[in-house]
Amino acid sequence: MLNFIIRRLLIIIPMALLVITLTWILIRMAPGSFYTAEKKLPPAIEANIKKKYGLDKPILSQYGILMSNIVRGDFGDSLKYEGQSVNEIIARHFPYSATIGILAYILALILGLAAGIVAALKQNSSFDYGSMSLAMLGLSVPNFVIGPILVLIFSLWLYIFPPARVGGAISYVLPVITLGAIYAAYIARLTRAGMLEVMRADYIRTARAKGLSEWKVLLKHALRGGLIPVVSFTGPALAALLAGTVVVERVFAIPGLGNIFIQSVLNRDEPLILGIVAFLSILIMVFNLIVDISYAFLDPRIRYE
Amino acid sequence: MARISFSQFRFVIVSVVLSSFLAGCTSSASNRYWGRTVAPSDNVLRYISGSEPESLDPAFGTGQPEARVYMALYEGLLEYHPKTMEPIPAIAESYEISSDGTEYIFHLRKNAKFSNGDPITAKDFVYTFRRALSPELASRNANLGYYIKYSEAYNSGNMFVQDQNGQFLLKKDFAKETETKASDTPEENSDGKAESAPANFGAPTELQKFLNSPERLTIKASEKERAKDFEADPKLKAAVEGKQLVPVTKENLGVEAVDDYTLRLKLYQPAPYFIQLIPHQLFRVVHQPTIEKFGKDWMRAGNIVTSGAFKLSVHKPYDVLTVVKDPNYWDAANVKLDAIEFYPLEESTTMMNLYKSGRADAVYNHTVPPAWLDEIKQFKDEYMDFPEVANEYYSLSVKKPPMDNLKVRQALSLAINREALAQFRKTPKPLSNFTPDGIFPKYDEVRKKVFGDKLKAQNISVEDWSKQRLFDAEKARKLMTEAGFPVIKAGNGWSCPTFPVDKVTLNYNTQESNKAVAEFNQAQWKQNLGITVQLKNMEWKTFLPFRSSVQYKGIARNAWVGDYMDPFTFLNLFYSPQNDGATGFWDPKYDALLDAANKELDPNKRLEMLAAAEYEILDQQLIIPLLTNATNWMKKPYVKGMYPNPGTLHAWKFVYLEPDQNRWDANAENIMKDGDPLIDEQINRLKATQKPLNTVAE
Repeated sequence: MLNFIIRRLLIIIPMALLVITLTWILIRMAPGSFYTAEKKLPPAIEANIKKKYGLDKPILSQYGILMSNIVRGDFGDSLKYEGQSVNEIIARHFPYSATIGILAYILALILGLAAGIVAALKQNSSFDYGSMSLAMLGLSVPNFVIGPILVLIFSLWLYIFPPARVGGAISYVLPVITLGAIYAAYIARLTRAGMLEVMRADYIRTARAKGLSEWKVLLKHALRGGLIPVVSFTGPALAALLAGTVVVERVFAIPGLGNIFIQSVLNRDEPLILGIVAFLSILIMVFNLIVDISYAFLDPRIRYE
Repeated sequence: MARISFSQFRFVIVSVVLSSFLAGCTSSASNRYWGRTVAPSDNVLRYISGSEPESLDPAFGTGQPEARVYMALYEGLLEYHPKTMEPIPAIAESYEISSDGTEYIFHLRKNAKFSNGDPITAKDFVYTFRRALSPELASRNANLGYYIKYSEAYNSGNMFVQDQNGQFLLKKDFAKETETKASDTPEENSDGKAESAPANFGAPTELQKFLNSPERLTIKASEKERAKDFEADPKLKAAVEGKQLVPVTKENLGVEAVDDYTLRLKLYQPAPYFIQLIPHQLFRVVHQPTIEKFGKDWMRAGNIVTSGAFKLSVHKPYDVLTVVKDPNYWDAANVKLDAIEFYPLEESTTMMNLYKSGRADAVYNHTVPPAWLDEIKQFKDEYMDFPEVANEYYSLSVKKPPMDNLKVRQALSLAINREALAQFRKTPKPLSNFTPDGIFPKYDEVRKKVFGDKLKAQNISVEDWSKQRLFDAEKARKLMTEAGFPVIKAGNGWSCPTFPVDKVTLNYNTQESNKAVAEFNQAQWKQNLGITVQLKNMEWKTFLPFRSSVQYKGIARNAWVGDYMDPFTFLNLFYSPQNDGATGFWDPKYDALLDAANKELDPNKRLEMLAAAEYEILDQQLIIPLLTNATNWMKKPYVKGMYPNPGTLHAWKFVYLEPDQNRWDANAENIMKDGDPLIDEQINRLKATQKPLNTVAE
């Protein structure tokens, strides 16, 4: 197990560097640059800019300098936001995304698991149909529709919650619900399906045959197996939630990483793009690893040797 | 001022879904105000300012969102008038212009201070100008200062050439241009004589003598580029060989502190609109000790020292930038707000929600989504619909077929019903010229006269000509047929089977309103000419180089927001071989006309020349003019002293919040005409120190 973890952790570094390199090539291939504007720059001014940011050097040496800095953890300064380092920008905006992401995740887990388990236990009951229809609705209605509808009702009609911007706990309510809804719906459906499948499995029949109480069967045996699909979904989902979601962050004007990421691409802000890509890819790889490890705990049949 | 980023990324679906949704269920029409409108409890303006400022360094940021923040934090020699945007005294109490129009003297007020209490002197402005123009800072706006003597050479890192006797080579001896001129590059007085020393501003200083002597030749510093110039001009090569090269330094610039409170600027040539540029952010004064002490961290809260009516309090990027009234500001007694909160937001639905729920007092320009306009326009106390110094047009690829045919270009232009287009877009006005109508009243008059003279030969009045150019489907079909692409009747409509539709695409940058306009025009061409033009949209920064290098097929969307209040800011777009018109057109005669205009000291004659230049653009139909833009934003009625001026740039010290509901703005249509005693008195007091200029020929 330990070997497995170390091996996977070691792979993360070259993978991240590969992702950075590919991203860098793509950025360089994209038309336009951070100083492209409606009016063309006089050649002298363009030359000044290139010199200032080292863009006048040969392309391979630019790549070399870039990678040697990145290996040391230094992504340099943003090209768009004068005087701000990439590390500083990520450190500043990630907490906003993480806060909303974690709250939405908790909300989704509570709602999704509860609804899914109860629906599975009371299969074909009115609760099952009701909650699963709601989940279907949650899945089909995208968050850029849910968000504005919530804003309309709670901000513009009832004036309860602010329609946008962070500031105080109250401002997190609408974005967290908007973001969490779709995940809650997913988790509910996955939990129900997983539980239904496991409840019919032989080992559950064995457990019941041994005379265990229904609660014990459920919590000790069924839940562990039934949650595997949920875990494979929620692991990467948590990474995605933490990384920030563009739509919710834009609709609610939250200064999170997702919003900054999109802006950095539109601005052709190369160091910032590379920094965020590296950060997010490592985040996702780590979460995938955590998911793989948790399988071993949930399902005794899975072993990493 | 380029529209940097407020238009780039639109969640089209979001907007469509939202606008249709919200438009259907908004407050009843009986409500006088849109959403929650209550008198503010504190003296803080909450303003939605567009994209996150790229920098708090006024010499660096180029966009309007930045400009609006700089106008709170920094002050220049002059400031924009809150209604007309004409320059009014700020740190300079008054200014004079020499009789030949090349020398400017600014008299600074003696009580101006930085936010840390340091006095602001002419030396600070010398530092500011030199810094803005330095190659090391690499400001993208530096070319706005290129009229200042030797600034382009300094900014380009060029060298003077000195012979063994210590004599410098002079530019007039190498009459042929040694380099391709960039746009905005001023041309030298070509009379060759030593330029006369103007004005009696005391005994000439060493720098002044130097600046008034004949212009020195400068050559590129990089060997490689110099070799290119030498190849083009062997005479230059021979003359430079074996001579010493001396770098152009900041001390050579035409910027001088005559004494602590007198600043002198020396230009290459009269540039009548130069004074309009003085309030520009590039020339707003910065604090040298702070910049030198903290390096790139000087803009951080805690370090930053500013010169404007407000100083930085909090900066949370992408969230809020708060400025508070600066007690050290020289005119602090007349600054009415305690603080301004700038919210850097770009999602128009989000800002409308904030505004409607009473959590923002005003929003920046072009923020009301098109689908909401019908409803929003009813709120006349809040909605700002005024002419803007901005146009919208299509550039045509005039060097490639079929657009190389004048008649094809004319036909495509005439086939668009601009009145209908303007109605469809709701706020803009139809445009048949290139420079926007109704923004430069004097120029409009002169233009009418000049065009009238030109049209006499064609036996048509300006009025009829202008009207025809707005829409004339019959003539469009005739021209298209004459061009070799016969338009024939097909059922109820028209068809033009021979027109090479595969060679024409209408290209635009991805944005909801651009798409709507493109589809409208596509339908017009289909309906009136029987031609189906394909549409193609592109992400902003992909689109820009694609358009400026004229790679597009046929038609590309274009628009311009003026940098200053003079038609030259538009006409300049077709100046120089690498011009920004993005059509492939370049005509030395056009350049010569603009050069001559800018050397002309008689304002009326100058405008005539500019109008003649504009006629060229229209006569050759390099573009399809579409619309004069209109401002499109909202403010709560209790926000006063904030006007829909043509650039939507607000001098914040005039803005105040009115708690008394009886004095709130009623009917914004009159906002520019109606006086506000408080503001008028303040402006008059400021203007009192500036004597009318009698040096320039009337």
